[in-house]
Amino acid sequence: MAPDLGNTQKWMQAVILHPGSDRQAVASAEARKIVPPSRFPGLIRPSRTLDSFDRIGIYRGMYLARLQEALEADFPGLAHFLGPKRFSDLVRGYVDRYPSGSYTLNRLGDRLPEFIRSSPGMVRKDFLYELARFELLMSRLFDAEESPVLTPEAIAEVPPECWETARLKPVAALSVQELRYPVGAYLEAVRQGKPRPATRRKNHWAVVYRSQYALRWLDLSRPAYRLLKALVNGVPLGEALSGVLRRGGQPVGEVQLFSWFRGWVTEGLFQAVELEDTA
Amino acid sequence: MGRNRWDLPDLGFGIGLRTVHYSYILANHPPIDWFEILSENYMDTGGRPLYVLDQVAERYPVVLHGVSMSVGSTDPLNLGYLKKLKALADRTRAHWVSDHLCWTGVSGINVHDLLPMPYTDESLRYTIERVKAVSEILERPLVLENPSTYLEFGTSTWSEVEFLSTLAQEADCGILLDVNNVYVSCFNHGLDPEAFIDRVPADRVVQYHLAGHTHKGTHILDTHSDHVIDEVWSLYRRSCQRTGGVATLLEWDENIPSFEVVHAEALKARRHRGLPEPDHQRAYGT
Repeated sequence: MAPDLGNTQKWMQAVILHPGSDRQAVASAEARKIVPPSRFPGLIRPSRTLDSFDRIGIYRGMYLARLQEALEADFPGLAHFLGPKRFSDLVRGYVDRYPSGSYTLNRLGDRLPEFIRSSPGMVRKDFLYELARFELLMSRLFDAEESPVLTPEAIAEVPPECWETARLKPVAALSVQELRYPVGAYLEAVRQGKPRPATRRKNHWAVVYRSQYALRWLDLSRPAYRLLKALVNGVPLGEALSGVLRRGGQPVGEVQLFSWFRGWVTEGLFQAVELEDTA
Repeated sequence: MGRNRWDLPDLGFGIGLRTVHYSYILANHPPIDWFEILSENYMDTGGRPLYVLDQVAERYPVVLHGVSMSVGSTDPLNLGYLKKLKALADRTRAHWVSDHLCWTGVSGINVHDLLPMPYTDESLRYTIERVKAVSEILERPLVLENPSTYLEFGTSTWSEVEFLSTLAQEADCGILLDVNNVYVSCFNHGLDPEAFIDRVPADRVVQYHLAGHTHKGTHILDTHSDHVIDEVWSLYRRSCQRTGGVATLLEWDENIPSFEVVHAEALKARRHRGLPEPDHQRAYGT
């Protein structure tokens, strides 16, 4: 009996997603429980030039090629580091484990960092995990909501006595990151076609953000990271400053603090000053 | 005034809005009749794509064209997707919303391809109801495109054109007639493309697609990677004689050349419709 519409679609999808050869896919357990391989040539008509395997093979080939192209666009650093063969192998393993469930390819790579972290035997796994996580973050910030940007006029309107308890609201497209590898520098080198930089472990801190619709990042010192992280988490300004000043290490002077704030405001990292009674 | 069932307008000769042309379009406001927008590229972003889209929609007529509605799938309709699609259509004041006569996945998976339907009575009945439901949600008629296909099901009892025509009549939807896809599918299946063109109900055609393709010898792939070939132009002329003036769109998605080159390719359609060619040099100052 011929498969109905639902079973035809389940069968065809099972064949397309199967990682083996065209013949293995048609003979796979999932496919054969719907359409026995002996009935395959009757279900998919041969053409003048292609047999039934060739014809279903076109869809199978395009499936992986399309997903690989999408992931390469979102993870150019990862693709560059691994090279074509290893990246292709990674994509095959990833989409076998996590086929797309979204109407948009923009979400295809959402679980790629976790897939890398959980893959046994992957060389340079820690670096690749952080690189993938960083590139995924860039994709998300690219699509984040656009926010208004805090203006000097709005800052000037804040009464001086209110700054202690004021909160600085960050723009939506912003993330403060503690990193173990120089993934930003690596990505920048790939984009600019420069020689591959060292990828040894090096703890550092950065803020990644979108400004005027372009993605950027700023390297931060550790105290600057702590302060910005606290502000982004909604800690009032006075408390956030005290937290930084209380910490050990190099003392942070007033001039340094003003320099950070000026830089962050100029870069458009904040959208508003929220005063205590309006926060 | 259009001659189609809904009197949807002949928007003229447009191209697909593509990322590589964003800066050029914003800086130069080129003299193009309209743009087609790939819906899914703008449904979940608040970044530059949406900013560019708003700028474009402010200045030019736009039409939404999707690839993930999966109207032929036996999975339930994705209501979240349709809600976002309607919101985008409202935001851009899109003249119409189109997708493909295909399915893209089942069991919650998206293969991200325009997979062929078996052309059976069961498929037809099912798809008619789905198209009606989508049109109701979108509060506008859905326009469906004939996809390029690379296989035929032995279970099919309808030809593609008969299936599409009956679907359009019964579900009251429009047709986006992709002339290149007619050529590609007919080559791949050993069918007569002129017979296909002649059997499309003219009053349902609200838009044309034109594109180049890649000939692999044994089959043709719909790659949108080159100029339109003469045989496709010939089919376009043949169809226009039946439909009259219908909005025409040139697609170019691989190895995309400059905006001027893509637009010039779209404007060739004017000549094939018997209209005077515009002064391209004056338009672009070249």
